[in-house]
Amino acid sequence: MEERIKNAFQKALEVEDKEIKLTDQFRDYEEWDSLGQLSLIAILDEDFGVEIESDDFNEIITVGDLLKAVQKRS
Amino acid sequence: MIFSLSGKNILVTGASSGIGRQIAIACSAMNARVILLGRNQERLDETLASLQDPALHLRYSADLLEYDKVESIIKDATGKTGKIHGVVNCAGISTTLPLRVINMNKMADLFHTNVFSAINLTKIVCKPAYIADDGASIIFISSVMSVVGEAGKTLYGMTKGALVAASKSLAIELAPRKIRVNCISPGVVVTPMSKSSFYSQNENTLNQIRSLHPLGLGRVEDIANPCVFLLSDEAGWITGTNLFVDGGYTAR
Ligand SMILES: NC(=O)c1ccc[n+]([C@@H]2O[C@H](COP(=O)([O-])OP(=O)(O)OC[C@H]3O[C@@H](n4cnc5c(N)ncnc54)[C@H](OP(=O)(O)O)[C@@H]3O)[C@@H](O)[C@H]2O)c1
Repeated sequence: MEERIKNAFQKALEVEDKEIKLTDQFRDYEEWDSLGQLSLIAILDEDFGVEIESDDFNEIITVGDLLKAVQKRS
Repeated sequence: MIFSLSGKNILVTGASSGIGRQIAIACSAMNARVILLGRNQERLDETLASLQDPALHLRYSADLLEYDKVESIIKDATGKTGKIHGVVNCAGISTTLPLRVINMNKMADLFHTNVFSAINLTKIVCKPAYIADDGASIIFISSVMSVVGEAGKTLYGMTKGALVAASKSLAIELAPRKIRVNCISPGVVVTPMSKSSFYSQNENTLNQIRSLHPLGLGRVEDIANPCVFLLSDEAGWITGTNLFVDGGYTAR
């Protein structure tokens, strides 16, 4: 699951070669923008069958937080 | 002049929610007999209960993607009401997807629901056995996204543009039979669909969307009223148009 979440970020931000770490605060990524966020949400929905409400998403700070949120919901 | 739909049988898809529900209510208020179509039976019944004289109208819960089942519904309905004078193709789904996450499945889903199901239904209703002999009015609910863009709206806009393109050729093809074909293109209207869109989930993005509409966001009545007009005989010389009902969104 950890690898899949990291891949989701790479796909959503179109940065296939970027190293993604669980401790990263993903909103600090240079490539993070509203399209990246929409893409990530679409990937979570399609590949993980997980929907995260906007309020909950705002509380997710690191890649590891997202991993936990997805694990909780799937 | 008061527009009346008296004596007319009007079929409305997407009648279980939002804009389609209000179109059904407005048609019944103008004395039409309404045939309601939607998937969710409970919400369809709520629509039926809000119509003038509910016993007069019909409702069918069906998935329009089950293409082969549509004709039996139309046959059953027209057996009860007589032939159809108007169709509002309002059933639809929306999505906001950046190009990088568009794939074949998503394209197929959106096109099946927003375009193919509407054309399939229209094809069936337009058979001489089902459509009124003295002409009819067909409406497709498109969107401002049929002609302008927003980031993430590529796929949705493609389907809505397809409806506008289809309506033009249908208008020409069906004119000899006095069947008029038009689109209505709404801006953002407050409905379950727009409330579940990403921009409604945060006050900033919602304000941005509001600011794109000089007259504010739309109400379902704002779309239902011009629909009644296009369905009425008073719109008898209007075909092949795409009527923007968008609070000024496309005036810029
Ligand atoms: N709201 C807006 O801002 C806006 C703007 C421009 C254009 N539009 C267009 O207006 C139309 C209505 O939108 P809305 O906002 O009223 O949305 P809504 O509240 O989500 O209603 C959509 C309707 O479509 C029906 N539907 C969807 N897929 C269907 C299927 N496969 N078979 C049968 N029925 C199906 C739904 O039925 P069930 O609920 O029973 O499943 C529901 O009645 C759509 O075509 C939309 O693209 C909306």
